[in-house]
Amino acid sequence: MNVVRRNLGRAIGPALFVAAVVLVILMPRFMSEFRLLQFTLVAIYVIALLGLNILTGYSGQISLGHGALVGIGAYTGALLSLGRPGLEALQLSPPSWLPLGDGMTPIWTIPIAALVTGLFGILIGIPALRLGGISLALATLAIAVSFPIVMKRFAETTGGGGGINLNLPETPFGWDISTRNWLFYEAWVTAAIVFLAAWLLTRGRIGRAWRAIRDGDVAATSSGVNPALYKTFAFGVSAAFAGAAGALLAIETAYVNPDTFPVSISILLLASAVIGGLGSLAGAVFGALLYVFLPIYAQKPPVFSFEFADQAPGVVFGVFLIVIMLLLPGGVAHFFRALGGAIRTGRFRRRSRTSELA
Amino acid sequence: MAIPARPALPALDVSPALRTLILGLGGLVGSIALLLLIGLVLTQTEETFTWSGYWQQVVSGLAQGAIFASLALALVLIYRATDILNFAQGEMATFTTYVAWSLMNHMSYWPAFALALVFAFIFGAAIERTIIRPVEHRPEIVVVIVTIGLLIALNGLVAWIWNPEVKAFDSPFPNRTTEIGGVVVAIQDLGVLAVTLVTVVVLWAFFRFTTLGLVMRAVANSQDASRLLGVRVGWMLALGWGLAAVLGAIAGMMAAPSVFLDPNMMLIILIYSFAAAVLGGIDSPVGAIVGGLVLGVLINLLGTYVDFIGGELRLPAALVVLLIVLLIRPQGLFGHKVVRRV
Amino acid sequence: MKKLLLALLGVGAALTVSLPGAFARTEATQAPDAVPGITRNSIVIGGTFPLSGIASLYAPIPRGMEAYFNYINARRDKKTGQRGIYGRKIVWKFYDDGYNPGQTVQLTNKLILDDKVFATVGALGTEPVLAVRPLHQRAKVPQVLVSTGASYWGLEYKKYPWTSGWQTDYVAEGRVYARWILQNAPTSKIGVFYQNDDYGKDYLRGLEQGLGARKSLIVLKLSYELSDSSYASQLSRLRQSGADTLVLFTTPTPTARAIGTAKAVGWNPKQIVINSVSATDQVMAGAARAAGQDYVNGAVSTGYLKNNTNPKYRNDGAIKAYRRIMANYGPDGININNTFYYYGVAKAYDFVKLMYLAGRNPTRASLMAATAKMNWVNPYALKGVRIKTSRTDRFPIDQGKVIRYNNGSWNEISALYKGR
Repeated sequence: MNVVRRNLGRAIGPALFVAAVVLVILMPRFMSEFRLLQFTLVAIYVIALLGLNILTGYSGQISLGHGALVGIGAYTGALLSLGRPGLEALQLSPPSWLPLGDGMTPIWTIPIAALVTGLFGILIGIPALRLGGISLALATLAIAVSFPIVMKRFAETTGGGGGINLNLPETPFGWDISTRNWLFYEAWVTAAIVFLAAWLLTRGRIGRAWRAIRDGDVAATSSGVNPALYKTFAFGVSAAFAGAAGALLAIETAYVNPDTFPVSISILLLASAVIGGLGSLAGAVFGALLYVFLPIYAQKPPVFSFEFADQAPGVVFGVFLIVIMLLLPGGVAHFFRALGGAIRTGRFRRRSRTSELA
Repeated sequence: MAIPARPALPALDVSPALRTLILGLGGLVGSIALLLLIGLVLTQTEETFTWSGYWQQVVSGLAQGAIFASLALALVLIYRATDILNFAQGEMATFTTYVAWSLMNHMSYWPAFALALVFAFIFGAAIERTIIRPVEHRPEIVVVIVTIGLLIALNGLVAWIWNPEVKAFDSPFPNRTTEIGGVVVAIQDLGVLAVTLVTVVVLWAFFRFTTLGLVMRAVANSQDASRLLGVRVGWMLALGWGLAAVLGAIAGMMAAPSVFLDPNMMLIILIYSFAAAVLGGIDSPVGAIVGGLVLGVLINLLGTYVDFIGGELRLPAALVVLLIVLLIRPQGLFGHKVVRRV
Repeated sequence: MKKLLLALLGVGAALTVSLPGAFARTEATQAPDAVPGITRNSIVIGGTFPLSGIASLYAPIPRGMEAYFNYINARRDKKTGQRGIYGRKIVWKFYDDGYNPGQTVQLTNKLILDDKVFATVGALGTEPVLAVRPLHQRAKVPQVLVSTGASYWGLEYKKYPWTSGWQTDYVAEGRVYARWILQNAPTSKIGVFYQNDDYGKDYLRGLEQGLGARKSLIVLKLSYELSDSSYASQLSRLRQSGADTLVLFTTPTPTARAIGTAKAVGWNPKQIVINSVSATDQVMAGAARAAGQDYVNGAVSTGYLKNNTNPKYRNDGAIKAYRRIMANYGPDGININNTFYYYGVAKAYDFVKLMYLAGRNPTRASLMAATAKMNWVNPYALKGVRIKTSRTDRFPIDQGKVIRYNNGSWNEISALYKGR
C-alpha cells in the first residue's frame, strides 16, 4: 500500500507538469481570443517572476525594483525593434552614441534585452553587496521610483509621457498562423526556455550555493561558497529574466510608456511572487496567474453603489495579502507541495514532537 | 544573533547629558557652517543667487524635512522594537489624519488633534496585536508582504470611507509670512518645526526618564532578556507601535494643511521618510531626524540650483546622493554596524 | 491539519476569484453580418477610467454618464415613442485602469474582444488613450468623445480615423488666456506654474503662442512633478521673480496645493489664472479654506459647461434636469455638486445625439462618419456654445467663455470666444 502511495505521490509532480504543457499547446484551439491574450500575459509574468523568485526566494535578497527591470527590458526591446529610423519616424532623436541599429525582428530583441537588463542587474548587484537587507530594499525601491521619472526626462529617446507605439509583429516565414496565436506561442516557448534555465540553475551547485547564502552568509563562506559572486550572479540572472519578460511585454502590448511601470508594479510583482511561493519554481506560475487575473476579475460589475464598487477591490486585495501571509506564509506552491507530501506519506497529522527530535 | 557593535564615537569623560548637549550644539554649528559654505560656493556658480532666496529654500526644506523626520522616527521606533520595516506607516498616518479631519468638523483644532493622537495610539497598538503578532517571527519577506497588504488595504479604505475628492485641512498656524533678517519665512513652516521639536523632546524625555520608557528600551535591546526579567514583552511591542502611530499622525497632520487631504498624500512622503531613516541609520532616532532634515534641504537645493537636475530629477538625484552615502557607510550616518555571529 | 484545511479554503477562495472565467467557453457568435455590440434591443459600449489610484478624483465621470444612459433607457423618446435609442437600450461597461496605460491596453482588449463593445466612449487620460489608439485603428473600433484635452484627437483624424475627441483642447485654451491678458492686463508680469507633462506643456505652448511677440511678459515659468511633496521651492522663486500674475496649468489637487502654498510663501499675486479642468468648486473651496476667500476671489478661468452650482442657474432647465437625472438614475449618497458628474452627463448627452446621427441601423463606420457631422446645441453647455464638427474641423467643442470666481461661483465675464 505504502509503496503504491509513495510512487503515486512522486508521480503527481511530473504528471501535472506534462498535463500543463499539453494544455498550453492546445489552448489556442478552444480559448477565446481575449483569454488567449491573458494567458500570453501569464507566460510573460511567469518569466518575470522566475527572476524575482531566484533573487528573493533562492538567494534571499529582497528587491522592490523588479518592475523597473521589466521596464528596462521593455524599452530596450522597443527601441531595438524600431531602430533609429523607426524612432526618427516618430519624431524622436536618440543620441548618436546609442547602438540602436536599423530595427530588427522583434523576436531577436528578447535575448538582447535580456542581456542588457542582465548587465544592469549585475551593475546593481555589485554595490548591493555592501548594503544590508533594509538598505538593499531602499536601493531597489529608489530604482523603482526613479525609473518612470528618468524615462520621462530623456523623452527624446523614450518618447516621454506619450510613450512609443510599436507595430504588431508579423508572423515569421509567412506561416499561416494568426498574430495572436503566434504571440502566444512565442511567449510560452520563451517561458519554457527560461523555466528550463531556472530549473537547471536551481537544481545544481549554483542553486545550493544560493540557498546556503540565503540561510546565512557567514555559514556559507565557511562552507567554501563565495557570497559576493553568487549574489551578484543572482541579480544578473533575475534581471535577465525580467528583461526578457519586458521585451515580450513590449511586443505583446505594442506600446511602452513610463507610467506602465510605476512603483506599484514592483510591489505587486513581489507580492505575487511571495503568494505564489518563493523557493519553488512552480510558485512563479501561481503568482503569474494571480497577477494577471485578479485585478480584472476583482472589479465587480458596477451594480453596487459608487463607494463599494470602486474602492472595494483595493481593500479586498490588501486584506487578501495579509490573510494569505497569515495562513500560507510559504505561498501556494508550498501548500501544494505539503499536500503532495502528505498524500505521499499518508501522514495528515502534524508529526509528534518526539519524531521531530529523533 | 545580531549584536550591535560599540558606537564609533570616543567616550567623552563627562556625564551623558552634557555629552549629548555638546554633540548637539556641535552638530548645529557644523550644519550652519556647512550651509554657509554651500551658499558661498553658489554665489560664484549661480548668476541669480540671492542670500535671502537661499535661506528661504533652506527653511522651507527644513520644514519639509521635519515632516520626513517625524515619519522616519516612527519607522525607526518600530524597527528598533520589532525589527520590522512598516511599509504601512504612511497609510496609518493618512487614516488617522482623515479621522482628525472628521473630528475637526465637530470640534476645534487642538481637542481634535489630541483625540486623533489617542486614536492613533490605539490604532497602532491594535494593528500590532492582531495583524503583526502572528507573523512576527516569520521570515522577513512575509512580514514585508503583510505590511504592504496593510498599506493597500488602508489606502483603499480611506478612499472608500471619505471619498477621494481633495479636502482642505486646517492648520493651527496662520497662513502668513514673517520676516526674519530679510528672509521671508512662512509661519506654517516655523510651526511645523516647533511641533516636531516638541515631539522629539517629549519622546526623548519619555524614554530617558520614565520607567515605561526604560522597559521599552530594554525590550528593544533584547526581547528574551526582558522576558526573563518579567516584562510583558507583547504589550511593550504594542505600545511601541502605538507610539509610532502617534508620531505618524503628527507627521500627517503637519503635512496635510499644505499637501491637502488626499488618500495618496503620504505615499511619496513615506518614500522620502524611508530614505531619511536609512540615511540616518535605521536603528537610530537621532539619525532619523538628521536624515529627514538633511533630505528636505537637499531636495530643495538640488532642484533650485543644479540646472541639469531641475525639478524633474530632484527625487532620483537625492536618492543617488543617499545611496552614495550608504555605500560609504552602509549602516547610515548614525547607525550601528551590525556584527553578525553564527 | 486544521491549518491545512483553512489554507485550502483560502487558496480555493483565491483561485475562485482569480480564475472564474479563465476557462469559460466563448460566447455564441453572432450572425456573420451583425455589427458587434449592436443587437435589436441593445447597444454595448465601454470605457476605461481611473476609478482608483492617483487620478481617482475623475471617477464620477463614468457614473454621471451611467446615470444619463439609465435615464435614456427609461424614458420614451418624444418622436419615436421608444425607449433607449431607436428602441435599443444602452449597456455601459467601464473598468478601472488606475491611470496605468498598460492596464488600459489589457482592459480595452477585454472590452473589444470579450465584451464585444460597439465603441469605446469617453476614455480618460491622454496617456491611456494614446496607448490604445493604434489598437482601435487596427480593430476598426470607434474611440469617441475621449476625456482629454490633448490636441491629437482633433488634429490627427486623417491618420487615426477611428478616434475623436470632445472637450476644448489645452493649447487653444492657453491662447485664450494670452488674449485675455493682452486685452485686460497688458503690463502683467506672468509667472507660470505648470505640470511637467503633456497636459501642462500643451497649456504653456498655447499661452506662449497666444502672446506671440509679447512672450516676454512671462518672467518665469516653473514646473512640478506629481511626485513632489511640496511646491514651496518653486512658488517662492516665482514670488521672487517679481511676477504679479500667477498662471496655474495644474491638475485639480496640485492647484489647491499651489494656491495654499503661494499664500504660505507670502506671495499676493494681483491675478490668478486657473486652467478649466481645475476650475471646480471642490478645488476652489479647498483653496479658499487654506488661503482665505479673498485670496481666491477674482481668479479667472475659462469654461464651456454651465457652472452647475452657480445660484444663477438654479432654475435653469438643464441644471434642473441634471439634478433630476442624478437623483433618479445615479448612485446613492453622492455629492451631485461635484462637477465631474455634470461633465459625465453633458458628454453622455452628446453621445446619445451622436448615436441618433449614426442612423436607425448604426454601424461602426456610420458612427465615425457621424463624428464629422455634429451640429447641435448641448443644453448643459454654456449658452451659445455649439457642438459642431465638419470634414475639416474635428473639435466638437471649441468655444467657451472667460469666467471669474467669486464667493463660491464662477461667473461668465466675457462674450463667447472661439478657440480654434
